[in-house]
Amino acid sequence: MASEGLRLARAIVLFCAFAASGCSVLGAGPTARGSSATIGGAGSASAPEEARAQNDASAASSALLAQSRTERAAGQYAAASASAERALRIDPNNPSVWLELGEIELAMGDAAQAATMARKALTLAGSDSVVEARAERLLRDAAR
Amino acid sequence: MANRSRSPQRRKHAPRASRASSWAVAAVGIAIALALAYGGYLAWSVGNEFEGRRWDLPAQVYAAPLELYPGRALAPEALVAELKRLGYREDPRLPGPGTYRVGLDRMELSTRSFEYGGDSEPARLIALTFGGGRIAAVRDASGAAVAIARLNPLLIGSLFPAHGEDRIIVTPDEIPPLLPATLIAVEDRRFERHHGIDLRAMVRAMLVNITSGEIRQGASTLTQQLVRSYFLSNERTWWRKLREVFMAMALELRYDKDDLMHAYVNEVYLGQDGARAVHGFGLASQYYFGKPLGELELNELALLVAEVRGPAYYDPYRHADRARERRNLVLQEMLDNHLVDAAAAKQAAAAPLGVQPTTRGAMQTAFLGLVRRQLRADYAADDLERKGLKVYSTLDPAVQSAAERSLADGIESFGAKSEQLDGAVVVTSPQTGEVRALVGGRRLGFDGFNRALDARRQIGSLIKPAVYLAALESGRYTLASIVDDAPIDVPLDNGDIWSPHNFDNEAHGSVPLVRALAESLNMATVRVGLDVGLEPISNALQRLGLDTKPNLYPSMLLGALTLTPLEVAQIYNTLANGGFRVPLRAVRSVASDDGELLQRYKLKIEQAADPATVYTIDQALVEVMQRGTGKTVRRALPADVTLAGKTGTSDDLRDSWFAGFSNDHLVVTWLGADDNQPIGLTGSAGAGRIWAATMGSLESRSYSAPQPASLTGAWIDYDTGEPVASRCENAVLVPVPTTARLPRSFGCHGEPLGLGARLKRLLKDAAAE
Repeated sequence: MASEGLRLARAIVLFCAFAASGCSVLGAGPTARGSSATIGGAGSASAPEEARAQNDASAASSALLAQSRTERAAGQYAAASASAERALRIDPNNPSVWLELGEIELAMGDAAQAATMARKALTLAGSDSVVEARAERLLRDAAR
Repeated sequence: MANRSRSPQRRKHAPRASRASSWAVAAVGIAIALALAYGGYLAWSVGNEFEGRRWDLPAQVYAAPLELYPGRALAPEALVAELKRLGYREDPRLPGPGTYRVGLDRMELSTRSFEYGGDSEPARLIALTFGGGRIAAVRDASGAAVAIARLNPLLIGSLFPAHGEDRIIVTPDEIPPLLPATLIAVEDRRFERHHGIDLRAMVRAMLVNITSGEIRQGASTLTQQLVRSYFLSNERTWWRKLREVFMAMALELRYDKDDLMHAYVNEVYLGQDGARAVHGFGLASQYYFGKPLGELELNELALLVAEVRGPAYYDPYRHADRARERRNLVLQEMLDNHLVDAAAAKQAAAAPLGVQPTTRGAMQTAFLGLVRRQLRADYAADDLERKGLKVYSTLDPAVQSAAERSLADGIESFGAKSEQLDGAVVVTSPQTGEVRALVGGRRLGFDGFNRALDARRQIGSLIKPAVYLAALESGRYTLASIVDDAPIDVPLDNGDIWSPHNFDNEAHGSVPLVRALAESLNMATVRVGLDVGLEPISNALQRLGLDTKPNLYPSMLLGALTLTPLEVAQIYNTLANGGFRVPLRAVRSVASDDGELLQRYKLKIEQAADPATVYTIDQALVEVMQRGTGKTVRRALPADVTLAGKTGTSDDLRDSWFAGFSNDHLVVTWLGADDNQPIGLTGSAGAGRIWAATMGSLESRSYSAPQPASLTGAWIDYDTGEPVASRCENAVLVPVPTTARLPRSFGCHGEPLGLGARLKRLLKDAAAE
């Protein structure tokens, strides 16, 4: 059990940190509410299980993304976009999938669609600077 | 043989013998000559008709294939349900494709090979392990990890033409040898030897017919049955019988027995599914058992052969006893002809009929209506009904069946009210715009009024997100803006005064925008809407996905416009997809009858609004569920899942709507009476209940989106909109533009606190931890 003094000190530190940060806590945004729980039968899964599930599902979408890239490189655009869409159904919030779709569109000559896909990817990028850079590049290429 | 109306039924009647009564001998000669000529003509025309031997093949529509990958939320029981739908059979020996076995938290499948939109997947063995309601691992026969595998897509129906004839063609190598052997044993023992007709059997039957005074079914060979089904009408006359005999003989002259048997297997009528006539063993196998012909068990195959004699009389759904009796008779014939051994026959005779539930075949008629509608733009009806196209749709059979059940059970739960009620459900995947399920009414398989596509009803408050979207876009409002929910009189063009009021008939005074939307306050909304202007609101609606321009009356602000559930889904799908509009799709791709990909309907997205603005509206829709009109609906679902939604109720409670989404699904539900009488249910009490039941049965993750950088969170008092500290009882965090410069407060209910008081309170709070 912490002593009275320690508790007071902690409170002061807490207050100072709070004051110093201005109101940065406000910037956290309501998304903090979103959990990864699902509604159906899997709702009871524990947090680590959830996290692992997310990783596993990413493995499936990564495999499909890799397939899409191979097909794109071989000029099989229809197949590439079918694979990327299959990845999207599994992993709809993954900006990399949207970028892949956009890059296929650009390769097929639809610059407007490519740019829209890039903008969609940007809304999902969060603080991922790699994704951001790739999206910006796609936007530039599409504007050419 | 494409066009049946050109079949040789069109011909002159035989010459009347009376005309040559005095020239008897000559007449007989002429008659013989004519008969020969006629026979020759028949032989020629029958041959021609039969030569191409192409049936009109309605397009077959498939559901989306089930994807299996580690991490997927799927309980073993749910997978078993899917496998049963696909006609998989549990067999611990895994004898071949279409079988599975179940262990503890483990399943092994022997999958079928299949074509999918130009790809082909081989049959293989896969093992799945489960944990926590999810697939934990997928492995192949060698034990290697598999990233993703899929099952063959469920055949959900076909786009058959108005005359109703539907079939799936099987090739000779897809026909199990036991089938022709059984058909011969049961229907036509001398098939291999006769020349189209079986004279002995005919004479015997003729005696029966003469004594009974009419023509009864009886002595037809398989060839005659084929001719009758293929070329002739259903009338039973001596004249038709004569033509049948001629034509059967003509066919036998030109084709060998294998060809005729193959044609017979694909032609014969084997059942009736509403307006759809089930022809051929390929379709009958799918219709009755949900699996390919090659996988039928002995008892199943025997039942199909039993149906040849009269699918109505031996209907396994309506006359199970007759069907079983005839099936067992078929099994006896098989035994007598040494086609099966006694043990197998005995076991099959003891088996249940095993037909799948009768609603199964017709349950997706509403969805098929949408498929037809999407394809109409690119294909003539004729192509869809005749060319044997394969249509790969977006339907998720598990979601469809959950939505159907939710609507039917939900309506049922309203007790006395339920009599007049009907409804519709649409489920989509927001990011891809794929329609996962579509229910057009409570009566499953009733191929009538498709409410999801055709019920055009007042949407009530469902319009409000568009009103507030336009308000945010004007730059004059944020979710923290204070608006006045007080009585308002709106002068109309016709001189009338419109005085809208709230559902609870109360005025709530100064409220923040977020509360006005969450609680669906009418007077505040009308005030905001008139300030923003009807034109920008109508523009916002159209950007979100409405494809007609609404009439710009002030009553529009409260949803006095009529939309179908599908149109509502299109609009809300754009909100669920962060402001990117995706045309809703029911079809992924179309392939030709030989599996070649003809067309793919690619994902196309358009930006309908600034993502930050839509994000803000979506957060307000989350508040609808947390604190507003969706609160009771929300309570029916797990508390840790974030959902966004909106209620809609039209004047006099004629329409009850609920539209809302998670991360993975948008669900729109509507309830109402077909005659537009009041139903006495609000959006949350009526459609909300169906919505919660539907959403609750889906594997769906929390709605979540990263907050755009142009926004920041602001804590305000939910009731009054005043800035408050986050710890305050009624505090709600709303996203506002970083440029909005809201005042901040560390107190509650807007009471400003000095630094000393603030420190004291903090210390107190911390000490209490």
